[in-house]
Amino acid sequence: MHGEYKTPGGKLVVADFDVRDEQFRDVVVSGDFFLYPEEALEAIVGAVEGLAVTSGESAIARAVEAALPDGTEMLGFSPEAVAIALRRGLA
Amino acid sequence: MTIEHEAHYPLEVEARWKAYEWELIPAVPEVPPMNLALDEVLTKTVGRGERKPTLRFWAWSAPCVVLGRFQSVRNEVQIESAREHGVQIVRRISGGGAMFIEPPLAITYSIHVPPSFVEGLSFPQSYAFLDSWVIEALRELGIDAWYAPLNDLTSAGGKIGGAAQARRFGGVLHHTTMAYDMDMPAMLRTLRIGQEKLSDKGLRSADKRVGPLRQQTNLPRETIIERMTETFTRRTGATVGAVTPAERAEAEQLVVEKFATEAWSYLIP
Repeated sequence: MHGEYKTPGGKLVVADFDVRDEQFRDVVVSGDFFLYPEEALEAIVGAVEGLAVTSGESAIARAVEAALPDGTEMLGFSPEAVAIALRRGLA
Repeated sequence: MTIEHEAHYPLEVEARWKAYEWELIPAVPEVPPMNLALDEVLTKTVGRGERKPTLRFWAWSAPCVVLGRFQSVRNEVQIESAREHGVQIVRRISGGGAMFIEPPLAITYSIHVPPSFVEGLSFPQSYAFLDSWVIEALRELGIDAWYAPLNDLTSAGGKIGGAAQARRFGGVLHHTTMAYDMDMPAMLRTLRIGQEKLSDKGLRSADKRVGPLRQQTNLPRETIIERMTETFTRRTGATVGAVTPAERAEAEQLVVEKFATEAWSYLIP
């Protein structure tokens, strides 16, 4: 599955994943965004890996937000943008 | 608050350019992975306090696609076409978007500073601050250039370039590539430019079109780099230096272990 979302005035987020047992699996998040520290990407992916595909946008965004290490800076994208890209991949 | 407002920084930070001693490293052609390895090594040596804050002009010895740290190769590059045309695929340590580089058509530089240089500034402010001398140089060349947050250098004649930063190894890396000229057919057969990427650009299509420096100035590439060098030197009092043998050795090792490996270039396949 493949979903993309570009934050207006910001950057592109791409989500590639499989669906198994009605869950997001093997999630890869990529894009031309800026993220500090870089390791926060693992936290973002880890937060959505295994989430039920029935999770709504705000539930996915909350999971991402909660997993971010303290002091993480997301420039040009947001937890919501990640959630939208994932949801679009299901469509 | 919009990102445009966030990018305005207090004018007193301008004094920092003069408050530090700077070294300027003129361009020496390097293979693509070596340019990226030097990026990492110079950021480390500045971060360790072994090197002064540094501006390095780059020169490329071969065409390449430079991917942002978080980009997927398949999503950004027409891999077969790149291979056929001898375009190497490399990945940098900073985020941001893919660049298609043909050596004579790009002007690239990197700035390596300690964190104190951008202390108290937000990320958008630090981008605008670290490229402010380039805006000045472009204006001296007759281009009414300005910084378009987060990371674009632009003018009424079109987008000129883009910047990216990494904060690692105890230092701050800020690098920028500007278009001196464009080879549109080669770019279109090398990169993938999807619809979603263009989705919010309807309103902004005018200011997002690329306006290479050659078209905007009719000046040779060397003249533009000379102007940039003069403007930077006037601002900072920088002295000319070079990559040290120890730095080069460290970078050569990093090429082998990281920047020329598939494991790094295809980190996100």
